[in-house]
Amino acid sequence: MTMPATTWTAATLPVDDNVNPYVFSIALNSPWFMSKGAMLAYYGDVRFEAVTAYASMQAWVAARFSSPIYVQDWVIAEGHGRLLIGDRGYDLNSYDLDAGNLTIKAGNLLAFETGLELKQSIVPGFVTLLGTGRFIASSNGPVIFVEPPFRADPEALLGWADCPSPSVHHDAAWMAASIAGALQGAFGRASGEERQYDFTGQGTVLLQSSEIAREDPAVLRLVEAQTQLLTNSQAGSLGQRLIARAQQQ
Amino acid sequence: MARLIADKRTLRVELAGERIRAASGSMVAVEGDVEFKHSGMGGGGGMRAALKRAVAGESISLMDCAGSGRVYLAKDALDVMVVDLAGDTLTAESDHILAHTDGLRLDVMFSGLRGVTSGQGLATTTVSGHGQIALVSDGPVMALEVSPGSDLVVDPDAYVGSRGALQMSLVSGVSWKSVVGEGTGEPFSLRFIGHGLVLVQSAER
Amino acid sequence: MPLEAVNGKVVRARVAPQAPVLARRGSMLGYSGQVTFRPVHGQGQGVGGFVGAAMSGESNPMMATEGAGEVLYGYRGLYATVLELDGTAPLVCEADRLLVHDAHLQTSVQFLGSGGVRSAVRGAFTGQGLFTTNVHGRGAVAVLSHGGAFPLQVSGGTIGVDPQAYVGHVGQLSVDLAAKVGFRDAVGRGSGEAIQLKISGHGTVYVQASEKKF
Repeated sequence: MTMPATTWTAATLPVDDNVNPYVFSIALNSPWFMSKGAMLAYYGDVRFEAVTAYASMQAWVAARFSSPIYVQDWVIAEGHGRLLIGDRGYDLNSYDLDAGNLTIKAGNLLAFETGLELKQSIVPGFVTLLGTGRFIASSNGPVIFVEPPFRADPEALLGWADCPSPSVHHDAAWMAASIAGALQGAFGRASGEERQYDFTGQGTVLLQSSEIAREDPAVLRLVEAQTQLLTNSQAGSLGQRLIARAQQQ
Repeated sequence: MARLIADKRTLRVELAGERIRAASGSMVAVEGDVEFKHSGMGGGGGMRAALKRAVAGESISLMDCAGSGRVYLAKDALDVMVVDLAGDTLTAESDHILAHTDGLRLDVMFSGLRGVTSGQGLATTTVSGHGQIALVSDGPVMALEVSPGSDLVVDPDAYVGSRGALQMSLVSGVSWKSVVGEGTGEPFSLRFIGHGLVLVQSAER
Repeated sequence: MPLEAVNGKVVRARVAPQAPVLARRGSMLGYSGQVTFRPVHGQGQGVGGFVGAAMSGESNPMMATEGAGEVLYGYRGLYATVLELDGTAPLVCEADRLLVHDAHLQTSVQFLGSGGVRSAVRGAFTGQGLFTTNVHGRGAVAVLSHGGAFPLQVSGGTIGVDPQAYVGHVGQLSVDLAAKVGFRDAVGRGSGEAIQLKISGHGTVYVQASEKKF
């Protein structure tokens, strides 16, 4: 039988490097935080523990993983072996932080070393990694690195490093040209061109091709938590609008 | 002799009066004089289907492509790989089979699986004989070697096929106490022991 | 060259005051420089364009990008293929496959094939209505596909293409729908290849490695 696929063994798999653009091989010796479902295959003695279960035993876990809305979607991988991870066939990249910080779309973060600390970004749907260590993130197509000043479509934004958090820019020409767009812009999203994240200063912005929005359970938790800002009557009217929207679909 | 040639996400089939079998509906373009005809069902439902409690024994629909010319086959923009068999046997998930030449046999193999409490065996497809088989995968396929002392655990959704003398069992990925009430991540995985190669794709959808 | 492939899924357009581009709405990924976006309704000029706008409605809304700067375009992770049109023959493709093109290229809408019931059937099968778009002139255009579009040359012969896998074509080509097998076969447990586009003449046909519509 001739097998055109590359053959690997536990000994020949890359050490903390890509196997191909879509698969990363972690040489597991110390614990890693891992997104649930990222595992493709592993060799060796590897165990997965829920972060919640682990945090009750080890205090440092809670200190490192300070993002309660994401905690249910993550596990800790520990033991010794080679661990292959992937994400929907997306491109995978590893990033090394040296006393640095990088903010990335939460759904694209697959794994990080425990030397890094995870925090929720002020920008919804994003998390910030701080400290020293390595993490692995996916992107729809290769990552495109650009420098500010740059304006990014919120759906194409993968993350940013070393620059100030973005502000929201509204395209005046678009708003003027499309009354319908302006109305929709007030509640929801028309097409994306009327609203961008504006990056200024020094740093790097990471982009990917936009993707079909997928259901992220953390977003629901996040939005729900924010509704506490509303008064009771506001919450009631929002509820009615949401019901109307759900019935439309 | 009919030839299957993989070109990234497309399979090119050169026909000079022969016949090959391909997954129904997989033709994207054709040059020359080639007839397509439904040729029945083949293969087993696959491990994945059984684990997901889909209908056991469900099989893929195949068509005959016969004539002279060139046929381009593809499926959902998945990567294509061609394996040449010389009298040996390959096990493959049926939904990864794109096409095969005439000299190969597809059989449904029922295998018991240690760790499955339902008592239901799993149907998978074995391919044997002399010829070529084209497999599709999400991203390139990695052939991961299993040998005594070097077991391999694979996510069922990433499993494409295998060859060799392998035994399979189920392992739970995250311990049960932590899974309960937290939704599923890797509720169970396939553990391979023995001697052989396991084909794993680059995605776990 | 105003359009450049950054990778398989993303296209960079250099926009200048005399060189705006038209793009699919919702496809802008990011930009630098002084550029503005303006929704345009309908597409093309003249009678054909008018019909197209009226018939296609907002199914393929486009926008103009004007000013000076660099803009990245991509759409839902689909692959984008940049084609240079030399002006000798239009690009024919379905309107919703147009990601971005030079604004000075003209678009018009036409019936594909010989018209009548046949193209109606074809439209129904690709979920596209009865019209395809012709892109005329000299310039660059980026076309969307699932998994990438590969070119097949036709030199005097005929090739069959699955309607769902057909992306577009350039050249002196005629397109006809062939329901070779009886409808009984097509509806029942057929081979799945009962209906094909028969494309003959001289030119290039672009086909995607998938039968998925986006």
